[in-house]
Amino acid sequence: MGLDLNWGLAINALPLLLEGMKLTIIIAVVGLFFGFFLGAAAGLARTSKNKILSGIATIYVEAIRGTPILVQALYLYFGVNQVLIYALGWKIESVPAGILAIAINSGAYISEIVRGAIQSIEKGQVEAGRSLGLSSFKTFYYIVWPQAFKRMIPSLGNQFIISLKDTSLFAFIAVGELVRQGQIAIAVTFAAFEIYTVIAALYLLMTLPISIVLRHIERRLDVN
Amino acid sequence: MIITVENLHKKFGSLEVLRGISCKVKEREVVCMIGPSGSGKSTFLRCLNLLESITSGKVIVNGHDLADPKTDINKVRAELGMVFQQFNLFPHMTVLQNVTMAPIKVLGTPKRKAAEKALQLLDKVGLGDKADVYPSKLSGGQMQRVAIARALAMNPKIMLFDEPTSALDPELVGEVLAVMQDLAREGMTMMVVTHEMGFAREVADRVIFIDQGVIVEEDTPANIFSNPRHKRTRTFLGKIIKGDGVQGQSG
Repeated sequence: MGLDLNWGLAINALPLLLEGMKLTIIIAVVGLFFGFFLGAAAGLARTSKNKILSGIATIYVEAIRGTPILVQALYLYFGVNQVLIYALGWKIESVPAGILAIAINSGAYISEIVRGAIQSIEKGQVEAGRSLGLSSFKTFYYIVWPQAFKRMIPSLGNQFIISLKDTSLFAFIAVGELVRQGQIAIAVTFAAFEIYTVIAALYLLMTLPISIVLRHIERRLDVN
Repeated sequence: MIITVENLHKKFGSLEVLRGISCKVKEREVVCMIGPSGSGKSTFLRCLNLLESITSGKVIVNGHDLADPKTDINKVRAELGMVFQQFNLFPHMTVLQNVTMAPIKVLGTPKRKAAEKALQLLDKVGLGDKADVYPSKLSGGQMQRVAIARALAMNPKIMLFDEPTSALDPELVGEVLAVMQDLAREGMTMMVVTHEMGFAREVADRVIFIDQGVIVEEDTPANIFSNPRHKRTRTFLGKIIKGDGVQGQSG
């Protein structure tokens, strides 16, 4: 009774897995898109002199960083939805819930990236801009943000990879992403080793290009 | 009078850095401010374009009352040029973009016109061939000359210099001072915080000695350097002119 691997089963499952991979990419891309704006807004709020604004942003960041994304997704899909159904007779479907969870979760981390980058820009840059007569908004927009953004790129790329992998947890909230599709295929075929191998390979197929592109961007930015 | 300051006080928390400064500057006048590190001379300069807020007192610059909260500070600053010790060029822009940015974004000058003017100014400071280079490729002296061109691009009525040569290697100081000397000769009103006594002696119409937040003495460079009236001025000049390289990094 040897180990009888059957890669044909994994290949048969491939269409199902690719379907899951598509959803993984959609959730990651759309979630990160909103997460970036949310994070930029929260990051700016944290650098703000307005205590209320920076207070709200700080609570948001600490609450999200201090709880697992799995709990956040479960909270949203099962917890919040329970309330929504009771109050409005309406609920957030699993895919939008996944997108929302990625946006909210990555937003908290991105806000720290944004805040750190903005605060790393020398005070003299702002003074030079203001002394030329630029308003504080123009100084931020033309001088601080472009420089800060460059410094954010490596950390943002890192966060993109983390968030993409985090989507795998949404198998728990019935999102038919890559892991969930794989589990379905394994339930039918019992080819756990083969199919999880393919799943891992597909994740690498998604994350490695991000790493490579990032390294390219970093090298190009170093030139200036 | 293009600058009138009356009884200016500036506090950082409980620390009083300026303790009642009054002075007047005429158009086309070149005023050098000297004094020991921490004397308040840089803070005083920075109050003139409100990079530091004014705690109390009256500051009228080019007809604008800086203590009046209704004053449009961006407008005032657009009329003043400022050159910093650390240059503060924008590293993500080329030399040309550094110089054209404010005219385009603040004054609404068309790009082509702003670029023409910028090239003229870069020629004037001897850097016409560096327009498309990024600041990181320049020496300190070149960076500071670009910073001067950047300030001049706004057609300022007054130029403020905050220790413009203090961060430079000694052999690069001369090229920056030469540009400033040209400006003075053309009739620019200039306020210069400096440790370059040679420059003050040669170029300034008036030298102000500031110590512990007050103006101790002001006079023509000839009188200040050869015949200082106050003991504190004498002590300070004695230390500097002995040439032991006492160069405070900030005032």
